[in-house]
Amino acid sequence: MAVIEVENLRYRYPQQTEPALDGISFTVEPGEFIGIIGPNRAGKSTLCQALVGLVPHFYQGSIGGRVVVAGLDVHRHPVSEVCRRVGLVFQSPFTQMSGAKFTVYDEVAFGLEHQGVPRDEMIRRIDHVLHLLGLWEVRDRNPFALSGGQMQRLAVASVLALQPQVLVLDEPTSQLDPAGTSEVFTAVTDLCRQGMTVVMAEHKVERLAERADRILVLHRGKCIAYGPPREVFSREDLPGLGVAIPPVTEACRRLGWRLPDGTYPVTVEEAVKIGGAARGGNPG
Amino acid sequence: MNRLRLSLYVPGNTWVHRLDPVTKLIMAVVAVTLVFLLPGFGAAVALLAVSLGVLAAGGVLRRSVPVFAGVLVIALTFVVVQGLVYPGNQHPALTLGPITFYREGLLLGLRLTLRLFNILAATLVLILLTSPADLVESLVRRGVSPRFGYVLVSVLQIIPNMAAAAGTIMDAQRSRGMETEGSLWTRLRAFIPLMGPLVTSSLIATEERALALEVRGFSGNRKPTFLHEEVIPPYAWVIRALYLTALILAIAGRWMGWL
Repeated sequence: MAVIEVENLRYRYPQQTEPALDGISFTVEPGEFIGIIGPNRAGKSTLCQALVGLVPHFYQGSIGGRVVVAGLDVHRHPVSEVCRRVGLVFQSPFTQMSGAKFTVYDEVAFGLEHQGVPRDEMIRRIDHVLHLLGLWEVRDRNPFALSGGQMQRLAVASVLALQPQVLVLDEPTSQLDPAGTSEVFTAVTDLCRQGMTVVMAEHKVERLAERADRILVLHRGKCIAYGPPREVFSREDLPGLGVAIPPVTEACRRLGWRLPDGTYPVTVEEAVKIGGAARGGNPG
Repeated sequence: MNRLRLSLYVPGNTWVHRLDPVTKLIMAVVAVTLVFLLPGFGAAVALLAVSLGVLAAGGVLRRSVPVFAGVLVIALTFVVVQGLVYPGNQHPALTLGPITFYREGLLLGLRLTLRLFNILAATLVLILLTSPADLVESLVRRGVSPRFGYVLVSVLQIIPNMAAAAGTIMDAQRSRGMETEGSLWTRLRAFIPLMGPLVTSSLIATEERALALEVRGFSGNRKPTFLHEEVIPPYAWVIRALYLTALILAIAGRWMGWL
């Protein structure tokens, strides 16, 4: 059974004439890693926020269609209810820190305290997520004294402590350096391997191409492609729409290096395999 | 990072530090109330001795000296002015050339000084020896709105962060050739290119933080639980009882006219 079902989702922000999301439908199976890509203002953040109910509950505006996540109709339940099943991690690690807690350990407790989780249960969950995201050693540091990558992992940990079934991340690495980006991607991939359903909006398409099970392409609020990375990135229409594709796929396209099924490679490993064969067959 | 500190709390592990915040709040409130209830020098001096004793036990006596010294300057003006012009002045005490100080005025000035010091010492127990976050948490436990508590505590961290952001913006503007030092006029002009980005970025950060709090269930209206258990040491009850007894006795004394 699908853990996320989005049906003909339409949404317009207040005082806007253009819809931000225009008839989006897709489903996600448990344990899948979905990458959402698309140019700026395509509706990636709006879609992420629609999955936890910030759209429409926080922003108001007019909404249509249906969003069911982990068995909960998001439009009919308040965010505080939905966030127990779906976690959302934002772009800026900095503004996700509550500011009311003075250590990493306490910061993770913030959400649990407001959810009324009993104390021993709270401690068990905090210990678990801090170990899971490699933050146990820095548990007594001030959250604002962490590096960007650590702070973003803390944001993930704080959301995971609420034990959601789905983790949504909205460009979680856009403000991080390559090392911080790798930290976050590795952590998220590990979670996915342990059965968590992950939806991640991201500009770093080559990273998504390596790890995501399926890629959803947004363009002006419409879903124009949804499928496995190789299939999606092999489409001829993406560059014309301003949708970034992995550099390696672009190179293979120009070189005409296709995989047996007719798609282009999306990772360096795949490209090397094809390219090696191509060079072997045509030496010199 | 060298951050602006908004809280004057001095961390430590003395018996005063280990007292729960509510006991310290009671101590401060009772001491300030007693200042106004108890007439006479003896009581004021005794009260001051108790508060100073608590500060000393907390190891912050030296740290409070500058505060007392600062207030002493104000207090001295009380003594001088009251000594010169208090309407009840009758008995000259000290004559320096054409200026005569009177006994009644000097005593009144002294009494006011003592009162000021008493209030100061009592509140310093709260300010220097109580962690503001702990104080707010114990108040939230007792029914203060978690939202209100959040505002109080987050200000302690978010204002210093804003100050750091202001520093960054200032450096950025300066690197593009803006004069930020010099005459008052130059400084005033530098203020606008600082405030624009600071206010805008703070507003954006506030919206983002509101969203992040929202998805962590902040507005859920559930009864909150707490990671840290509230520890009220047994001797805190003794201290609470002593302070409250003193308060009741003082009120009764004023009521019955014993004092």
